[in-house]
Amino acid sequence: MISLNSLLVRPVARLPWRVQTKLLAAFLAIVALLIVLGACGLYELSRVNQRTEELINSERKIAAYRQVQHDTTSQLYSISSALLVSDQRTLDSALRQLNQFGYDLERLQFVAKDEINLLRKVRQEYDRFIAVATRIVGLIRSGQGDDAREAQLKELRPLADRLERLTNELVNKAEADVVADIEASEEAYRISQMIVIGFALGAIALSLVLGRTISLSLIGPLREIDATLNEIASGDFAHRLRIPNRDELGALAANINRTSEQLGRLYRELEEVSQHKSAFLANMSHELRTPLNAVLGYAELLVDGIYGELPERPKGVVERIQNNGRHLLALINDVLDLAKIEAGQLNLTIEDYSLGEVVDSVVAATEPLAAAKRLKFTATVQPGLPMARGDARRVSQVLLNLVGNAIKFTDQGEVAIGAAVEGRQFVLSVRDTGPGIADADQERIFGEFQQIDNTNTRKQGGTGLGLAISKRMIEMQGGVISVESVLGAGSTFRVVLPVQVEAMMEAAE
Amino acid sequence: MTKRILVVEDTEDNRKIVRDLLSSVGYELIEAVDGAEGVALAQSERPDLILMDIQLPVVDGYEATRRIRAIPELAAVPIIAVTSYALSGDEAKTREAGCTGYVAKPFSPRQLLAKIREFLPNEG
Repeated sequence: MISLNSLLVRPVARLPWRVQTKLLAAFLAIVALLIVLGACGLYELSRVNQRTEELINSERKIAAYRQVQHDTTSQLYSISSALLVSDQRTLDSALRQLNQFGYDLERLQFVAKDEINLLRKVRQEYDRFIAVATRIVGLIRSGQGDDAREAQLKELRPLADRLERLTNELVNKAEADVVADIEASEEAYRISQMIVIGFALGAIALSLVLGRTISLSLIGPLREIDATLNEIASGDFAHRLRIPNRDELGALAANINRTSEQLGRLYRELEEVSQHKSAFLANMSHELRTPLNAVLGYAELLVDGIYGELPERPKGVVERIQNNGRHLLALINDVLDLAKIEAGQLNLTIEDYSLGEVVDSVVAATEPLAAAKRLKFTATVQPGLPMARGDARRVSQVLLNLVGNAIKFTDQGEVAIGAAVEGRQFVLSVRDTGPGIADADQERIFGEFQQIDNTNTRKQGGTGLGLAISKRMIEMQGGVISVESVLGAGSTFRVVLPVQVEAMMEAAE
Repeated sequence: MTKRILVVEDTEDNRKIVRDLLSSVGYELIEAVDGAEGVALAQSERPDLILMDIQLPVVDGYEATRRIRAIPELAAVPIIAVTSYALSGDEAKTREAGCTGYVAKPFSPRQLLAKIREFLPNEG
């Protein structure tokens, strides 16, 4: 696998070709191999065919040689018979057989073109044999039987022997050729079998290797690209793709790398800007508060008559300065809280506290406001609440905000606070008989500067940040804040908070 | 005998507000503009109570309080810390440094006066 990877996959990936071209090249290579295979097969087939022809040819030769042998023997026989009988009919038959030699020779010349030398000898011998036989027949006809017999013994018989030897030689040679041909054609068959099998295996192996190589050179980078995109999606821009491809995938990887780099830079810039913004807000609200504290301080001293009792009208104006100053201070404080939460600088002070005491302190702070509006104001704390662990000041701030809002928006009826424990969670509730909140607005009020009607901000006071801050403070302690309300029938805000904040946060990590 | 209060505060306006408030109810004021001066004046003037701002130049309020507590004659003098709003954990830190009380900025003069009277009840 490793060697295949280093030997083929990387070089294939490095080829500066398009994926399409690579696939085409691979298919063409396989097709070329198949064409070579076909050509070799055809060639071997034609050779086998040729051998068969040669074999048939050899068989023909052998038959012709044997015919010559046979004819020679029968000629000798007929001449011997003619010498013994010497009637006209036997002589005619001997002469006819002599003619038969002529055909035999014609046939030999046709079937055994490659044996010219031997054939020439055979021909010469035959010619002499025929000449002698003709002479003998002539002698017999003229009644010179003794001379004929002598010619037959001394000339015709040795000639016949030589002819037989020659034809035997030809037969042997032809038979040897047949054996050689059979062996050669068996060999050729074996070779062509090996060539066909070899090429077929080669083609299969080549298609497997090329297919696998090209697939790997595509799939590997795709997997890496997928992994990198996942990392980018989860906010990690540090990873860079390193794939060897110089095709479309290489271009894609380069693009992804550039995009990731770009995104990473933008992300860092945004983070920096956001931190600068938060730091700026924190500093600014501190700087704003210093002179505002002085304004509020002097106003209070004036109202309290430290600089001498003020006449009614200027006193009223100074009180308005005080109220507006306090509103401005509340806004600044809320903005600072939000900025700190956004910048992750708001740390919880986790300590043991009593939820009952928190409720009591909030009731003490808000009771005068409820009384001023003649609202029924109740607080129901479940007896025997367990000791709480969390940031008491933040919980108190949230409850104060909720109760303050309830009193602020309720003109008649009641505001009821509840504190109970359910399992390992506190449930704090603030119910009012105010105007209620429409369904569409119930999510929105937890956003920044989102009051149902922005004109309310002026009329009712408040910064429009209270619920946004409350939501974050409760969530920082692993809790949830929610509202249930029917328009015209009041609202109930509910805070569900772990009894043991620290334990919860640790469990969450 | 008039009770004397040392105010360690770097902002002129805050000093003036405290001065106008406290002198109007009969306290005598000693003023220091940074932590180092505060420690020096505490030692030389022996005030009955110290109002200690925490964010101070040169030596901050925590350090100034620790130095004052290190002076045996001043080990029991009430020190009220005045700290910026919403720095969580500040109260615990001021107590660790040796402060007796704690007022968060922005304080209202009335609240401040009430706090001072907790420690100097026979005045005003």
